[in-house]
Amino acid sequence: MSPADPAVAPWSPRATWVVRGLGIAAAVALAATIWLGLWVTPPDQVQHNLVRLVYIHPPIAWVALYLAFGVAAASSVLWLWPRTRSRFWDRLAVSAVEVGIVFTALTLVTGSIWGRPTWGVWWAWDARLTSTALLLVLLLGYMAVRRVPADPDSRARRSAVVALVAAVDVPIVHFSVDWWHTLHQGATVLNANLSPTIHGSMAWTLLLGFVAFTLLFAWMLAIRYRVEVLSEHLQDSELDVALHERWAEGTAPVPGPDGALAGSGRPA
Amino acid sequence: MSYIDAGYAIAFGVLAAYAAILWRRRQRLERSASRAPAHRDP
Repeated sequence: MSPADPAVAPWSPRATWVVRGLGIAAAVALAATIWLGLWVTPPDQVQHNLVRLVYIHPPIAWVALYLAFGVAAASSVLWLWPRTRSRFWDRLAVSAVEVGIVFTALTLVTGSIWGRPTWGVWWAWDARLTSTALLLVLLLGYMAVRRVPADPDSRARRSAVVALVAAVDVPIVHFSVDWWHTLHQGATVLNANLSPTIHGSMAWTLLLGFVAFTLLFAWMLAIRYRVEVLSEHLQDSELDVALHERWAEGTAPVPGPDGALAGSGRPA
Repeated sequence: MSYIDAGYAIAFGVLAAYAAILWRRRQRLERSASRAPAHRDP
C-alpha cells in the first residue's frame, strides 16, 4: 500500500459530496422524524403516547438486524469466495459490524425503555429479547476475534467465519415472535400477509424513520470504512519505520530479492 | 422525564456521540496519514 493506492488517497470531490449529501439527508430526515413522532402524530388508542417509541425502535432494529448484519454477512461471503476476495470486503464487514454493535445495543435499550411501562419489566428472558442480546454478544465476539494478532488474511478469514456463524441468529431473531409465544408483539409492517396494521400519519412517520436511520447507517458506514483504510495504512507505515530502524541497527532479517526474510544486517 | 423522552434522548444522544467519535477519528487519521512515510513492500 502506498499513497498512490487509490484506497488511501483522499476522497474524490464526487465521493466527498456523496458522503456529505448522505450526512445532510440523514440529519434532515432524523429531525423530521423527531418532529413528526413527538409533536405531530396522534396518540394510539391502546398505548397512548408510548406509541411514539415506534418511530425509533423498529427503524433502529431494522438497521441493526438487517442492514448492518446483511452487509457484514454478504461481505464475509464475498471475502471467503476466492474469485471475489479483496481487502475491500473485509474492511466493509468490520465497518458494518462496528456500526451494527451501536444499533443493536440501542435496539435493546429502546426496547427495554418501551417494555418497562408496557410489560412492567425492564427485561424478560423472552425469545426476541434473548436472541437479540445473543446477537450483540456475537458481534462483540467478532470484534474480539479481530484483535487477536494475525496476518491480515488469517484475521479476515477468521472474522468472516465468525460473521457467518453469527448470521444464523438473524432469522432466529426475526421469526422468534412466530416460533414461540413471546411478550414481544408480532410483526406489524413485515407480517405474514404483508398487510401493515398501521395507517395514516403514523405509517408515514414510521416509514420516514426507516429512511432516516437507513441514511444514517450509510453515512456511518462510509466514514467507518475510511477510518479502517487509514488505520491499516498507518499500521503498515509504522511497521515499515520499525523495520528500517532494526535494519539500520543490523538486528532484523533482511528481505531477499524474492521478499523472503533471511540473515540479518542492512538491506542490500 | 417520561419513558418517551428518555428513549429519544438516549437513542439520539448515543448516535450523535458515535457519529462525532467517528468523525474525529477520521480527521485525526487523515492528518496522521498525510505525515506518515510511504509504505514500501520488501
